[in-house]
Amino acid sequence: MGTVALNFLIALVWGAAGFWLRQNTKLSVVEVSALLALTAGLVLPPLFTEGALFALTCTAVSYAAMCSGERCCSYKDMLTISGVCSLVIYFGQSVLTGIGGRLGTSAAISVLLCLLVRNVLNLDKAQKAAKS
Amino acid sequence: MWYQILILVPVVAAALDIFGLLSTALGRILVLAVLVVGVLMALQRPTFKPSTKLIRSALISCLAALVTFLLSTRLGLGAVVASALVGLVGAQVLKGRDQLIMYMGSFVGMSSALRFPTMAPLLAAGLLGGILFELTDECWVGVGGRLGTIAAAAVVVVLSVIGGI
Repeated sequence: MGTVALNFLIALVWGAAGFWLRQNTKLSVVEVSALLALTAGLVLPPLFTEGALFALTCTAVSYAAMCSGERCCSYKDMLTISGVCSLVIYFGQSVLTGIGGRLGTSAAISVLLCLLVRNVLNLDKAQKAAKS
Repeated sequence: MWYQILILVPVVAAALDIFGLLSTALGRILVLAVLVVGVLMALQRPTFKPSTKLIRSALISCLAALVTFLLSTRLGLGAVVASALVGLVGAQVLKGRDQLIMYMGSFVGMSSALRFPTMAPLLAAGLLGGILFELTDECWVGVGGRLGTIAAAAVVVVLSVIGGI
C-alpha cells in the first residue's frame, strides 16, 4: 500500500513539473519529456528500494506531459492524468513486459481515460444547465 | 476512420496479454489482422501520398531504436536513461516532426534484450515504427503517449511475426 501511495505522490510531482516546464520554458515537448525521464532514471533508483518502478512511472508521466494545450489545459488536468497513470503502471506491471512503447501506451490510456471522464462530466453539466 | 485501429494494436495486445492469449496462435493472428486491416485502410486514405518522407521517417526511427537498444543493453544504461538521452540529442540535432520520430524510435529501442536476442527484428521494428508514424499521423493528435503507442504497435507486430511474443 505504501508503494502505491508513494508511486502516486511522485507521479504527481513529475506531472506538475512537466506541466510547469511546458508552460514556463521554451523547451520542445521532446526536450521536456526527455529531461523528466532522464532525471527520473538517474535520481529515483538509488533513492528508493522501489526506485526502478517509480522511475518507470515518472517516465510514463513525462510522456503524458506531452499532451497538447487543448487536451490538458490546467494543473488539475495534468495531476489527474499523472495519478491515473501511476495506477495504470503499478497495476499493469505484468502486461506487455519487455515491449518498447509499453510506458507510452499506459500514458496514452491514462490520458484518454481522463479525457473521456472529463467529457462525460462536461456533458452532464451542460445537460443540467440546459434543464435549469 | 478504420485506419485508426492501427494505433489500437498495443491496446488489443495488452488485452490479449491480460487473458494470457497474446502468445497463442489466435492472439498473434488477431494482432496481425488488426495491422493488415489498419494498413489497408490507411493506404486508401485520400490524404495519404507515398513519398520519400515515409523512407526518411523509417530510417530515423530505425537509427534511434538501434542506438537506444545499444545504450540500454550493451552499455547498461537502462531503457529509461538510454531513451531519454537519444531524445535529448535528437531534439538538439533534428527539428519539428523529426524530433518526434527520433523519440518514437527510441521507445522501440527500450525493448528488452530477451525479446530481441538478435538485431534484425529490432531494426525491422524500428523501420515499421517510422512507417506507422506516417500512416497514423492524424490519430490521437495531441494525446500524450501517442508516440509510445505507435512504438509498441511496431514492436508487438514484429514479435508476433517472429514468434517472440
